[in-house]
Amino acid sequence: MSSDAAVAATRAGPRLDEAAAPWRRVSVYTVGGVVLAGLLAPLVLTRLTIGAYLLTLLILFFMQAVVAQSWNLIMGYGGIYSFAQVALFAVGGWTSGVLVHSLGWNPFLAILFSPIVAVLAALGIGLPTLRLRGVYVVLLTLAFHELARVFAVTGPRFISGGGYGLVSVGTFQFGDAVGDQRTIYLYYVAALIFAIATFVIWRVIHSPLGVAVTALRDSETYAVSRGINQFGIRLVLFAISAFFTGLAGGYMTHYNGGISTTVFDFPRIIDLLAMIVIGGWGTFGGPILGAGIVIGLDQYLVAIGDYRALFLGLILAVIAVFAPQGLWPLIRGVYYKYLAPESAPPPLEAPPTAPHEGGLS
Amino acid sequence: MTQVVQAVWGGILFGSVYGLMALGLTLVWGAVRLLNLAHGAIFVVGAYVAYWVTSSLHLSILVALPIGVLAAAAFAYAMHVAFIRPVLGKPGFDNATLIATVGISISVSAAALLVFNPEYKVVPPVLSGYFILSGVQITNQGLLVIATSLALFALVYLYLTYTRHGMAIRAVSQQQEAASLMSIPVERTYGTVIAISGGLAGVAGVLLSPFFFLSPNSGFNPMIQALIVTIFGGLGSIRGALVAGFVLGIFESVVEVFYGVAWAQPGVFLLIILMLIVRPNGLFGIGEVRRL
Repeated sequence: MSSDAAVAATRAGPRLDEAAAPWRRVSVYTVGGVVLAGLLAPLVLTRLTIGAYLLTLLILFFMQAVVAQSWNLIMGYGGIYSFAQVALFAVGGWTSGVLVHSLGWNPFLAILFSPIVAVLAALGIGLPTLRLRGVYVVLLTLAFHELARVFAVTGPRFISGGGYGLVSVGTFQFGDAVGDQRTIYLYYVAALIFAIATFVIWRVIHSPLGVAVTALRDSETYAVSRGINQFGIRLVLFAISAFFTGLAGGYMTHYNGGISTTVFDFPRIIDLLAMIVIGGWGTFGGPILGAGIVIGLDQYLVAIGDYRALFLGLILAVIAVFAPQGLWPLIRGVYYKYLAPESAPPPLEAPPTAPHEGGLS
Repeated sequence: MTQVVQAVWGGILFGSVYGLMALGLTLVWGAVRLLNLAHGAIFVVGAYVAYWVTSSLHLSILVALPIGVLAAAAFAYAMHVAFIRPVLGKPGFDNATLIATVGISISVSAAALLVFNPEYKVVPPVLSGYFILSGVQITNQGLLVIATSLALFALVYLYLTYTRHGMAIRAVSQQQEAASLMSIPVERTYGTVIAISGGLAGVAGVLLSPFFFLSPNSGFNPMIQALIVTIFGGLGSIRGALVAGFVLGIFESVVEVFYGVAWAQPGVFLLIILMLIVRPNGLFGIGEVRRL
């Protein structure tokens, strides 16, 4: 380093790397605005004729977004190709469902056990699986999905309900609220779950744990040789992901008043995958954006019926190959152009990359 | 006795088919390092083309078989050109190809549903007739499937070992950069491997459909079985695919005959989990450096 440059560096002081601490630059106004909009939405929407319908769509969006975010946490950030997400959702749903259906618990109490059992199941899958690499993880998690499906269909009667799943499970009751009033309460519960999940996942991603996970994904050998406990970290991440997935499963069971064995059907996995891929694989906001897009478009895609899966598959393939970051970078660009508190250039959200193989450049 | 013969016959039959599917998967994994989750879709493409040739053009299955196989190979090659080649050697290859192949298999089954409606289709067998061996019905089609599978294994092995193109494939799979310095066209070699793998899936599709009826999703199960076989035998190992195909086929069949159909799939999964704990690289798995 030349002496001039050294002097300049001293004068400027040690500069914080913006990309390393992106949470410092979240605008309070943006977050506050979103929260306020979320709180006021039902009051405004119920004035509209289709308001109740829009509220149920939002509830659906919140839950799907929670599951998609959790999946993205392990798949996009962790690089763990787990296909057990839907099965964990089902574990949460069945836990709460059985407690209410067979033991007659209050849904609000029972739903607290969904995430716990889902985490236990995740540890059960994770212990044999997470020491292995990509392909093996795909296979073993698919195997778990299949085993869970078989168990749900052919298991004991209080679980399988004779092959159809649980029907007529107690739903959430808010005093004697009915109709729109009840939908509003349901909306707030869903929004609360969504907000907590989003905040926790945000904090996880921007914590030492998140950095370690990303390091493991991008260069396993390097990360491990820097002393990162690969297995332990993956297990923790898997458990966090399962926690919120299970919670969403429990909520949906009491929202729908039952859980059917069709949750294991392949289209469910595909929809979630589409949310992550279209929104942005391995980005924070991607799954939320993707959930919004997929659920929003679905209202129109009903018209084209069977062509839906055809297009969805092609869109997945095209985005994965030609725009692996999905649509999220577009939104980020707009945000940093008009709304960011400082006029610093947007930090690069590095896409999942293959490890560098030596080489001088 | 009947039960034992039944179990062994079913095991050998399905083992040979799983092996055939696994051979395609393991070839592509070994050479291109691509986990092709569209393998089941290619299987379905081959089977539906053969079905279309026999039912709409009223041609013999002997004509339909090669057409179906060629269609499957062409489909696999087209997939390679459109979705695999653009990301070759780029960062994020694993992610992109994993999602792209899943997307393609969704589209294929949706397209099959649109074109051929969800009814189960029957592809006529190449050989009809059967004989009874100690109370078990042995179909000639089954014997043909086993013979074809073994013959294809032998062919692929000879091709990789003795021909110039086969050697090129092995060279690329072992040291891609060195191979391209020896003026081996790497991308074209990848294309060849993927087309061959697609053709193998097509053979499996056409020959297997007389046993299981053909539906838009009927490729999924054979693909999962093939994935298990591939991992059990060791990723990238041809010998492994052959042996593991029969081992798992017979194991599944025995469980099915003696403990009921519901336990077959869970039993296989338990076996593969045990295998991965004891030998993480599979039966004939060969580290990370040498593949194929």
